Amino acid sequence: MIPASVQILHWSHYVAACLFALGMFGFLIRKNAIVVLMCIELMLNAVNLILVEVSMRSGHPEGLIFVIFIITVAAAEAAVGLGIILNLYRAKGTVNIDAFRELQG
Amino acid sequence: MNGEIVQNLKLLSPELVLVFFLVVLFTVDSIWEQTRKNFVPLAVVFAACLLGTVATCWVSKTAPTVFFSGLVANDNFSAFFRYVFLFSCAAGMYLAFGSKELEKQNRMEFALLIVCVTFGMSLMAISTHLLMLYIGIETVSILSFVMAGFKSEDLRASEASFKYFIFGAFASALMLYGFSLLYGLTGSLQYGEIAQYVQANLGNMPYLLPLSLILVYSGLAYKISAFPMHFWTPDVYEGAPTPVASFFSVAPKAAGLAAILRFFLDILSYDAASGSWKAIGGEQLVSVVAVLSAITMTVGNLSAIGQNSVKRMLAYSSIAHVGYMLMGILTLDTFGLGAILFYIIAYCAMNFGAFWVVSIVADLKGSDRLDAFRGLGWSMPILGVTMVIFLASLAGIPMFSGFIGKMLIFGAIVKTPGLLWLAVLGVLNSVVSLYYYAKILRELWLEGREPGTASELSIYHGVALVGLAIPTVVLGLWFAPVIHFVERSIATIL
Repeated sequence: MIPASVQILHWSHYVAACLFALGMFGFLIRKNAIVVLMCIELMLNAVNLILVEVSMRSGHPEGLIFVIFIITVAAAEAAVGLGIILNLYRAKGTVNIDAFRELQG
Repeated sequence: MNGEIVQNLKLLSPELVLVFFLVVLFTVDSIWEQTRKNFVPLAVVFAACLLGTVATCWVSKTAPTVFFSGLVANDNFSAFFRYVFLFSCAAGMYLAFGSKELEKQNRMEFALLIVCVTFGMSLMAISTHLLMLYIGIETVSILSFVMAGFKSEDLRASEASFKYFIFGAFASALMLYGFSLLYGLTGSLQYGEIAQYVQANLGNMPYLLPLSLILVYSGLAYKISAFPMHFWTPDVYEGAPTPVASFFSVAPKAAGLAAILRFFLDILSYDAASGSWKAIGGEQLVSVVAVLSAITMTVGNLSAIGQNSVKRMLAYSSIAHVGYMLMGILTLDTFGLGAILFYIIAYCAMNFGAFWVVSIVADLKGSDRLDAFRGLGWSMPILGVTMVIFLASLAGIPMFSGFIGKMLIFGAIVKTPGLLWLAVLGVLNSVVSLYYYAKILRELWLEGREPGTASELSIYHGVALVGLAIPTVVLGLWFAPVIHFVERSIATIL
């Protein structure tokens, strides 16, 4: 069990919260599919920051291992995502998400 | 040490069987190109599912354990979901194999994707560790994006996979933020350790714990398409190839529910003595989940009414069914939680069946609009009759499995104090759903025959439809042993 001091919010958690909020805000307002993808990466990096910080302070390596997995999976996700966006770009000639409106109830 | 690893690997044998067949598929695909068009992928997937089932049977005989340093658990609950996933994998592959929509695609690739997704879903259901859960969810998600856009030349499919991808990446980022907060609060990623810590420090974390739980819920809600993360569902189901949509509507949802049940029952330390969650004010939590499930089913049913595309209608109906299943979580006893598992079995057969019919009609008429179904009951009686069974069961009409599932869930809810309103809302929702299911039936049977549509149902599809209709009927009449089975499955995680 970890010492109680770990529970206390570290300043880096606020940095992470800001990064996450920035990414989320960008995700919601940006129209370019590539930029949206970058915003998601920003959110994931906020998560990585918290995991590294907690892991360093508590001395458990679990968080660091998790970070490596997140980076790897995010790379795989981005690869698939870019493939999908490329496919849409070939058909539409744009990566603006407002152009993708074939499916609507 | 070595002996322990071998022992642990034995308990993981259903997943290892799937991995072995993945390797087989890869190898065969690269050295023997004709397999991309012939029956080999179907045979290999069936062999994988069959051997996987045997392996699951074999490992379910052992005593429940958490192994690999607390990463995964092997118990009756894992076994139940492994059966469901292996069945959906075989059914999904069979449907995709017979569908004209995917005729020109590389079938070997499809087999690879579906087996790998099944592997990921299995991991989701057995994981007792946040890292393992994350790996499972992402395995399913990333491959699902590819499956949704499998017809890469089709613009609608590409758009569906894009929407699936964007929402999925966003949901998994939210979920990860929840995980990191939970890790920061408790210093552990293992469910058991988190639960211990949460129990010992109740009240020390009034805001961050609920926040992290909400974030984790939104990530998992995306997988089961529950409110508030349900927006992607209709678009993705409509754009994706119908066999893929039918697979999505059943298997990943069951996996998401498995993950939700394990996560929340473990971490919020369900307390059998008082019958409620001990962590963060049981009462408040119950009302939050009650409202979420009420909104999920109402939104699903009301949006389905106005739809003209049957695929889209069934997508909304699948949202509504998730709402019913979420209700069962509130009861927090073997009966109510077992009802969810029963509902999953029933839903698996009836929803696959309904989508199957849509797939056949879409192949035949090139459209999934309501008017494409006109008079098909007369020209293809087996299709017509089985569709009546599937839709009646989805609507919850007595004699069919869907009715028993709903009855079990509503019955458990009525017994839970303070939740009578939810049961009433559930019944009202079933009535609403009857209306739009009846619209499909009217087109099938009551609008007269369309002249000049002499079409016959192939034996290939007929066998599948009858094969799915039989459990739908049988489970509606002879359900006691199945209820016993699901209660035994859920009892291991309570």
